[in-house]
Amino acid sequence: MAHFDTDYQRLEASYSDSPPGEENLLMHVPEGAKSQWHHIENLDLFFQRISFIPKNGFTCMLLGEIFELVQLLFVVGFTVFLANCIDYDILFANKFVNHTDSSKVTLPDAFLPVDVCSARIRHNAFMIFVLVISGVFWLHRLVKFIYNVCCYWEIRSFYINALKMTMSELPYVTWQEVQARIVEIQKEHQICIHKKELTELDIYHRILRFKNYMVAMVNKSLLPVKFRLPVLGECVFYTRGLKYNFELIFFWGPGSLFENEWSLKSEYKRGGNRHDLADRLASRILWIGIANLLLCPVILVWQILYAFFSYTEVIKREPGSLGARCWSLYGRCYLRHFNELDHELMSRLSKGYKAASKYMNCFLSPLLTVVAKNVAFFAGSLLAVLIALTIYDEDVLAVEHVLSSITLLGVCITVCRSFIPDKHMVFCPEQLLRVILAHIHYMPDHWQGNAHRYETRDQFSQLFQYKAVFILEELLSPVVTPIILIFCLRRKSLEIIDFFRNFTVEVVGVGDTCSFAQMDIRQHGHPAWMSEGKTEASIYQQAEDGKTELSLMHFAITNPQWQPPQETTHFISQLKERVHREATGLLKKKKKRPRSLIANLLAGPSTLSSVHFGRDGCLNNHTAAGIGDGASALRSLSPISSSLYLRAVSKAMAGSGTDARTVSSGSSAWEAQLTSLVLSEYASTEMSIHALYMHELHKQQSRGELPRHTWHRQESDESSDSVPDEVRSEPNTHLRNFPRSHTFPTTVPSPSAIPTSASATSSSTLSQQGVGGFQMFFSYPVGAGVKVVRSARVPMGGWAEDTQGAPRHHEPLPEESSEDEMPPHIHKVNPGAIM
Amino acid sequence: MNCRSEVLEVTVEARQVEEAMLALLHTILLHRSTGKFHYKKEGTYSIGTVGTQDIDCDFIDFTFVRVSSEELDRVIRKAVSEFKDALSNSGSDGMGQISLEFFQKKKSRWPFSDECIPWEVWSIKVNVVNLANEQERQICREKVGEKLGEKVINVVEVINRHEYLPKMPTQSEVDNVFDTSLKDVQPYLYKIAYQITDSLGTSVSTTMRRLIKDTLAL
Repeated sequence: MAHFDTDYQRLEASYSDSPPGEENLLMHVPEGAKSQWHHIENLDLFFQRISFIPKNGFTCMLLGEIFELVQLLFVVGFTVFLANCIDYDILFANKFVNHTDSSKVTLPDAFLPVDVCSARIRHNAFMIFVLVISGVFWLHRLVKFIYNVCCYWEIRSFYINALKMTMSELPYVTWQEVQARIVEIQKEHQICIHKKELTELDIYHRILRFKNYMVAMVNKSLLPVKFRLPVLGECVFYTRGLKYNFELIFFWGPGSLFENEWSLKSEYKRGGNRHDLADRLASRILWIGIANLLLCPVILVWQILYAFFSYTEVIKREPGSLGARCWSLYGRCYLRHFNELDHELMSRLSKGYKAASKYMNCFLSPLLTVVAKNVAFFAGSLLAVLIALTIYDEDVLAVEHVLSSITLLGVCITVCRSFIPDKHMVFCPEQLLRVILAHIHYMPDHWQGNAHRYETRDQFSQLFQYKAVFILEELLSPVVTPIILIFCLRRKSLEIIDFFRNFTVEVVGVGDTCSFAQMDIRQHGHPAWMSEGKTEASIYQQAEDGKTELSLMHFAITNPQWQPPQETTHFISQLKERVHREATGLLKKKKKRPRSLIANLLAGPSTLSSVHFGRDGCLNNHTAAGIGDGASALRSLSPISSSLYLRAVSKAMAGSGTDARTVSSGSSAWEAQLTSLVLSEYASTEMSIHALYMHELHKQQSRGELPRHTWHRQESDESSDSVPDEVRSEPNTHLRNFPRSHTFPTTVPSPSAIPTSASATSSSTLSQQGVGGFQMFFSYPVGAGVKVVRSARVPMGGWAEDTQGAPRHHEPLPEESSEDEMPPHIHKVNPGAIM
Repeated sequence: MNCRSEVLEVTVEARQVEEAMLALLHTILLHRSTGKFHYKKEGTYSIGTVGTQDIDCDFIDFTFVRVSSEELDRVIRKAVSEFKDALSNSGSDGMGQISLEFFQKKKSRWPFSDECIPWEVWSIKVNVVNLANEQERQICREKVGEKLGEKVINVVEVINRHEYLPKMPTQSEVDNVFDTSLKDVQPYLYKIAYQITDSLGTSVSTTMRRLIKDTLAL
């Protein structure tokens, strides 16, 4: 047998199956949990806490809260002491004290002995009730404080350890920056375990899950907050108590529609037994209403105490604050974009505050003014005499009631003064409303052109109410809330069930959210708001007032890093391009014909600042008549228009403004912070332009096509109809036929191009002066629309721009930062200087 | 919300419930278990071995693989038989759900107990049917076997995705991630819960927690 030789041979055993030694074992190195921030259980709550960036650092916040606790204790204690432990007879000298050594009455003499005092308190049932309630209130605050300290601590260490921010730079950090870091951190720590990467929209959805629902429900007028009362007419009642109850019913109360914080119960997602579910909801609302009714006395006392503790000090410090206004709770809901954080909303509304209160002041009744002036005169003279006498000899003060009359007269004068308008003010409601719109971004269609009417004013006051009314409503709330729940909300239960079923979508990694908050033009766009042809929504699905479109623009502008879905990107870029093109087109124009009216377009976006047309509306268009030096003086008064100019220039040169904003990430920390602050200002300005633009466009469209909103126009002012019809309608057809071709030919003079978007004021001026006289100034097709037209109401202003434009271009900071002070500039314009 | 949730639905006959549940739970746990960790000095560890074994079902044409750990099997069997009893006693139309929840613990400061944060929840919905005759039972036997096979592949697909898993812990933290009570195997911390019928309702405790938190956040 030949030796059969192959390569195949037995492998020598180089290993054993289970080695006794451990040297051959595979060794692993544990990663361990490097940070505690991976996999956070309740991301909704976590993001909510983070989104609240403490502006003054944590120490200040804690100290403030501690002092608040002490203050509360003091106020209660002092009130009880004053009510029970003082012998007022001694204080008012109705009773004499027997002193052996001196005849002077000292303060301790007036105090009652401790046992008398405590006996009095013990026998006063009401006093004990109040004490118990305030005791509970205080304990609640104390527990809340302790809880907050724990939360702050956690968030603080998150800021420091995970986000790598020091406490000192916190005040300069914008939310966008924090958000960017959170998105970064997700890649490293996996805070959210569903996805590798978080998007900005995910974070917003989590923070604002329920708020988006509320905004959508107010938008679709589902919540019963508007009532038509016999005497008061239409009024809005929406208080914190009511809001709390709504949230309790829908989102987290026992048996609510939501199973937990992130998912709707599955039976509510199915349409099958909607009637059963509606019945169940109705009975729950009934029970909660009854519970409210039973608890009414307790809540009422609580509310009164709360109001007393919160507001007495303020009223004492500045009595005028009750006459001041504030954005109502309903207003905040109505004006809020989808996916807009509290601080974003508040900064936007605060910017509009001055213009809004100015607008409301336009409606002071002249009769009241005359009366107030005279009352103030008489009261003032009495006061002057009393004060003069006191200065001469202070014994006057010892005369009975002199001191009190001085105080009363002082208050009387303060009150009267609030009814007397500043005589240097120029009122122009239409323009003011436009400035307001630039900040608040939403308003009903029928306000435009009707700004001077009392109806508009009344409706605006629903959004912007007196602080006193706000407090009063809060006090009434415990009584009214159960009535609303039982009689109004209960009837809507079926609609509510349908709403939650139809408008809830499940997003991976986020849970159930309101589908409106997806800001999908296709699903919820409104054809009258630029999403014509793109939207497939039925009337039920369309968000009112262009909410979807405006929210989308707002979100895209505030979060430039966000990658929207394809169609949405298309919509955004299209709109931006349109606005951009018109701005640049106007810029070019200005260079060519600096003396023409169009040059004012630079002031054109300055519609925002409104100084110019605000004036021109009132001064009746001195257009051709050579706008004098006053104009340039005025120009310098309005930093915003130049900043807008700047923005327009920078956009024209460096592409879109958002590009510039994204650059900020690279530079050094301090620089980056500053830039990001500045850029967020830019973003808000940009949003204002877009909001105005969209409203204008919407107005043009709705005028042309008589959509469902047009019925409002029937009650509009006569003057707006005085422009010949063919003049008005023709540009519209032009616009409709070529909706996207707004190139800007400078040469084609078109007499028919009277601005369609001119508001009632300007068109009424037009009609007064004769249309013909104007046409020479409007030598452009109206496709350019909005901006151009606004320039028509800006008779002056271009000149200063020519000389100042270039240097300003290089110093954006001061210009932009002064935007906040815009309203005072507007209001302090002294017509005398110009005329 | 911050946890993955997977839902499996099966329709079985009453006598198949136990085996079907065991098959699915064991399949999931097979992939969510490791050998015991043996920690060394320099913060390293070695992993012990895990055996597997095939289990044939009596009432279903199906064989599944499970970790060969009697202890683990006992725990699962106990939970499943409780579920089965509850299901048969409920008298409702034979709907039930058993859920296997993997969680990790987070140490919290003194007054509060440790938080258990779930990262993956498997819900198995069971629909029990009654069959009339032996022939139907025979068909059902095969069909359920096929279905379970599909589910097992489904489970493996889900587990094969690169998704979040708790990081491998150091020696001091091993109890926060793994269940170390068993001698021969070390699964991720898990909980088995079941409920009968469909209506769940917000549990009272969640509502109370929310209520308290909300009052505090006012």
